[in-house]
Amino acid sequence: MILINYIAAFALIALGFYCMAVKKNLIKICIGMGIADYGANLLIVSVGFHDGGTAPIFTIGELTRASFFVDPVPQALTLTSIVIGACTTAMTLSLIIRLKEKYGTLNSDEIRRLRG
Amino acid sequence: MMEMIYGQIGGAVAHFPIFAVISLFLGAFLTALVGKRRALLRRGIVFVSSLVSLVLVILMIPPVMSEGWIITYWMGGWEPVGQWAIGIGLEADALSLFFALIVTAAVFTAALYSFPYMAQDSQPENYYTLYLMLAGSLLGLVLSGDLFNIFVMIEIMTMTAVALTAFRVDYDGALEGAIKYMIVGSIGSSAVLVGIAILYSQLHTLNLAQLALRLPEANSPATAAAFAFLFVGFGSKAFLFPFHPLAADAHAVAPASISMIISGVITKCGVYGIIRLCYVLWQNMSLPAVSTAVTLIGAVSCFICVTMAFNQHNFKRLLAFHSISQIGYVIAAVGLGSFFGLEAGLFHAMNHTIFKGLLFLAAGAVQHAAGTLDLDRLGGLARKMPRTFLLFLIGAAAISGLPPFNGFASKWMIYQSVFEKAEESGNPVFILVLVLCLLSSVLTLASFVKVTQSVFFGPCRPEYAELRDVSAAMRVPMWILATLCVITGLFPGAVRNILLAPAAAAAGNPAAYIDAVFGVGTAAGAHIPEAAKASETLIGCWEPLSWLWLLLTVTCAVCFVMVLGGRPFGRTVQADDAEERRQASEKLFAGLPDPKYESFFSGEKAEFSHVGGSDLFWGFKYSLRRYFSYMRRWHSGNVNDYTRYGIAALAFMLAFAVLCL
Repeated sequence: MILINYIAAFALIALGFYCMAVKKNLIKICIGMGIADYGANLLIVSVGFHDGGTAPIFTIGELTRASFFVDPVPQALTLTSIVIGACTTAMTLSLIIRLKEKYGTLNSDEIRRLRG
Repeated sequence: MMEMIYGQIGGAVAHFPIFAVISLFLGAFLTALVGKRRALLRRGIVFVSSLVSLVLVILMIPPVMSEGWIITYWMGGWEPVGQWAIGIGLEADALSLFFALIVTAAVFTAALYSFPYMAQDSQPENYYTLYLMLAGSLLGLVLSGDLFNIFVMIEIMTMTAVALTAFRVDYDGALEGAIKYMIVGSIGSSAVLVGIAILYSQLHTLNLAQLALRLPEANSPATAAAFAFLFVGFGSKAFLFPFHPLAADAHAVAPASISMIISGVITKCGVYGIIRLCYVLWQNMSLPAVSTAVTLIGAVSCFICVTMAFNQHNFKRLLAFHSISQIGYVIAAVGLGSFFGLEAGLFHAMNHTIFKGLLFLAAGAVQHAAGTLDLDRLGGLARKMPRTFLLFLIGAAAISGLPPFNGFASKWMIYQSVFEKAEESGNPVFILVLVLCLLSSVLTLASFVKVTQSVFFGPCRPEYAELRDVSAAMRVPMWILATLCVITGLFPGAVRNILLAPAAAAAGNPAAYIDAVFGVGTAAGAHIPEAAKASETLIGCWEPLSWLWLLLTVTCAVCFVMVLGGRPFGRTVQADDAEERRQASEKLFAGLPDPKYESFFSGEKAEFSHVGGSDLFWGFKYSLRRYFSYMRRWHSGNVNDYTRYGIAALAFMLAFAVLCL
């Protein structure tokens, strides 16, 4: 059951990279960056999953040797990584808006004044 | 808050790492609070916060570098329990501190330069907030003892660096450079994140010391894949081949102070990551496969970027390619896996920050005064900006590896270490690496001759008649860097004793890194060997006698060429009349087939004919035109292409790691 998460995670990452490498529209490239990021997030959160575990929320005293819960660290990592991903997307989109104003196009083939 | 210290060192020093990082982030926060007005207060905050972090890092040098302590600090007092380090820790060993010194010194100098340089720009409060955040993330990256914390710092670094690249939005190409940096850089960031996830799934920890403790025995294809992901991630932050087009685009359009930080410090953080990864975490640099691959990547970056630099027409874009070329040197030396090679790499990393910073600041001064960076439009500025020219010359001599500047000492060490490695291992790859490095050095000199010629020499163009040299405030940071160039070049032995040897020893001694966190004897229990301290002697680069030999050889060579060539190079042709002058020049250059050469030997006909930078080596470029035109097409400027190179590198490293580790 968890295997499908891993497969999906790497499929998403590959899909995102494919999108970035092939799509010419900058918005689509930005979407590709997002998809690759989601793949990484899914991978992290799957890493901490234990079948049948509860949410890792306890007060002092509730936590005993018998409690069985999913690993909380990857969830914290995922949360951080989601925030960073949102920042990346916002930053990229704001750059794209200014680029569109300046170059009048979103086609990556035409945005190549710096080359050679 | 509590601290845990290796040995007995206590007191305030244990808190210095966190204060050094916090000082910069706090400065960023306060700068944002101050707002648009009160420029003096804002400058004061930036100056004080960067100075405080520099001083704190310098104060950590005696205990860490000389006495060999490792300072560990646990955020919120979450100390490790029973060999499990869950809390986020900062760990400053000599290697981290070496890079922290590079970071804080460069940040302080670039901040000083920013005050006059950015004075005319709008929104200075945004600039300084982003600048201090970038600085804080860089320092946090090198001092961090936690892999995920490193990822967060990498992301802050990338984000602020992109924003600062595009800071002068109206500058042509600024947005384009920024978005390419963002998109292709995100491959590197994703790679680091995926690497961290795989590593966590295998070892259930993110603390660097604990990873170092458990990785050698947990060798599996999964950890090998994690290595590949992390290596590509850090490599992309160091702009190694094939991520180098990114650096050229971003450096060239950023403000000069930011170019200095991107080229001098961000790339060094990538180098730091690779050293930490290969020497401390996986401890696999002694494997021939890893060592050969890393060295080869370095040498290829070095060579390809220097040839690309050869072809450039933009001052800063040319410098950007050179900066990756120099990083290639560093990585080639680091990849040797020998103590001496690591020392050489660290020395060159430090020197590169100094001289490339100086060159970028000089380019910024030229841009500030002349308003352009186009090598074909500049010329004759030596007379107008003599002080900047002198500083530029020091930087150019240092990067070209001319004695007595620092580039000479570190390149010498690199050649010696590669040579020894080639001799010791008998691997022909290292001979190839040596040849590539030497060729790159020659080409570096050639392309700086080109820059000097096209920017500073030749007749002054009429539009620059009113040009003034930049203010003293802008020259002070350049003088700081130039002085460092000379000092580290004259006393490489002292630099080696104080900084390089402890840093290289720390990188080669993961056992101490582990013991600092988990107590003495932990590493020995896990069979991680204490590193044997190696000490080697340099082949006397500062011996006066070898200098004398060099001088004699050069003089003899020059005399030989002059006698054999038979042309009166030094003689001036006295001719008033244009016709007479033409005849004299015809007589003088009778043997030469092409009038194009005339301007090389001051036989030009027009009064204002400036040998453009692109003409200087036209014969060489013409002979290699196939290579150059191929490389031009390869650096297409299309972000999809650059993404493809990045993904190909990732795929290659994955295949390599899973097959060879």
